[in-house]
Amino acid sequence: MSSMFKSDGKFAVLLAYFKIIMTYRGMMIIHAIRLLLLPMVLASAWLSIEKTANNPYSDSDYLLYYLLVPVIMNLTDSRIVFKFSLAVKDGSLNRDLLKPFPPLMGYFLESIAGNSMQLFYLVPFTFIFWYFVSDRVMLGHLEPSLLLFFVAAIIIGGLARLMVSGAIALLSFWIEDVTTLNLILNGGIWALLGGMIVPVATFPDKIRYIAELLPYRYMLSFPIEIFSGRLSSPEIYRGFATAAFWIILFAIIMRVIWKTGLKTYTAYGG
Amino acid sequence: MRQAAIILHLWKATIIQAMEYRVSFVFAIIANFFDFVFGLLQYLIFFTAAKSIAGWDSDQMLVLYGVFMLVFALHFILLYPNLVAMGEMVNSGNLDLLLTKPVNTQLMVSFRRISLEELGSIGTAVLLLCWQLYRGVIVAEPGNILLFGVSMISSLLLIYSVFLLLICLAVIMERLENMAQLLWSMFALCRYPVDIYPDRIRYAFFSFLPVAFIATVPATALLGRASAMTVWLGFAVSISAVAACSWLWRRTIRVYTSAGG
Repeated sequence: MSSMFKSDGKFAVLLAYFKIIMTYRGMMIIHAIRLLLLPMVLASAWLSIEKTANNPYSDSDYLLYYLLVPVIMNLTDSRIVFKFSLAVKDGSLNRDLLKPFPPLMGYFLESIAGNSMQLFYLVPFTFIFWYFVSDRVMLGHLEPSLLLFFVAAIIIGGLARLMVSGAIALLSFWIEDVTTLNLILNGGIWALLGGMIVPVATFPDKIRYIAELLPYRYMLSFPIEIFSGRLSSPEIYRGFATAAFWIILFAIIMRVIWKTGLKTYTAYGG
Repeated sequence: MRQAAIILHLWKATIIQAMEYRVSFVFAIIANFFDFVFGLLQYLIFFTAAKSIAGWDSDQMLVLYGVFMLVFALHFILLYPNLVAMGEMVNSGNLDLLLTKPVNTQLMVSFRRISLEELGSIGTAVLLLCWQLYRGVIVAEPGNILLFGVSMISSLLLIYSVFLLLICLAVIMERLENMAQLLWSMFALCRYPVDIYPDRIRYAFFSFLPVAFIATVPATALLGRASAMTVWLGFAVSISAVAACSWLWRRTIRVYTSAGG
């Protein structure tokens, strides 16, 4: 695996990204606050609600859900929108285009490096927090195959987010500020239908149906739903199929945008 | 007075600058409108799974959301653009230039820029609050309105002191991007009433981490549930916070040894 990477420099680039992140360790604190605070707030909110009759989640479900949210949110995160639009604006894309290295691969590797670095504090934090509430969180149902699905779902979720963000990011060829577009298409809808504010499984049926068709659920809620053992095998397979469909669709969209965008791109900045 | 005139001129300049990019200005307003709507939808979906949160029903939560958006939008208009500019100012060495000018640096650093993109949010937030007033959720008695006014001032002063704290950090650490994210994380604590937290955390939020006074207390004032004691306590806390942070800013500038260039 690593020799495959070594042969064309991808491994070296990945290592370089790790080193760059270590240089800006202070930034990790800001990331940590961003990742941990909101899920903690939401967990507190959900633990203090008076439930409606048709809400399937118990306190234990909510605890487990928001315990995992920071980890999944981080692992599926992608900053390509900000990085790429910046690269178009300040002209550093010109340099990337000249390198004998797939220009978009860098963003992919940077995401991997960045997201796995956050695990250094996220995993201990999650375990410590879990220890405090362990008497209230049920994990008896966990078995190897479920964990395997869980890991696969995280990878699929990360890919889905990368592709959707990537397609928006590439619009920087035409639109000067894609971050606002990202805020709507990726931030707002993601928080709403991805399961950040309200776990998807507790949506009213009609909204849940829509959420399950859209790609956002697979970026956050889906892996956690698998982990909680609340999904049947057909539901898991259907989820993977839906996510795969979106990944392929957005990969094609990205490719089309990249090809046409490069033709119109006239390299401003310096 | 002279300082105010200078700031007004700077504001005019930033608005003219923003109008150069009219399309992106309009786009930003639309985005902010959507952001407001998403926030509303969040509460609507939230209340399909919950009847109430820590004793707040959906109508009362909408009042809290209105107050929250009002405070958030005001911060976005007045402080946020200055916060974004600060990191760049330190990095590029422009701060040194500003320090040599015969103006009050704290005022200049805090209010140099303005962004009108969130004006729409203020409008929608006021509309939301008016609607709740019309429906009788908000108790409009003179006493409540007074308490609401006082608590809104405290709320804005508290946010201003956090802002000062962050720009001090930017000067000390010389490289601190995404400070706005830190501020927004703090806002995440204000989106829900402080009653949702365990007792000890709630106590902290009313004392040395005064997040309760940012949205929860003004909202309770509108709902006619605030005690005058709490509101005035918040006022005292916010005044002392601004004083402490201004002192910190003056100290930071004194030990600042220039960066960038």
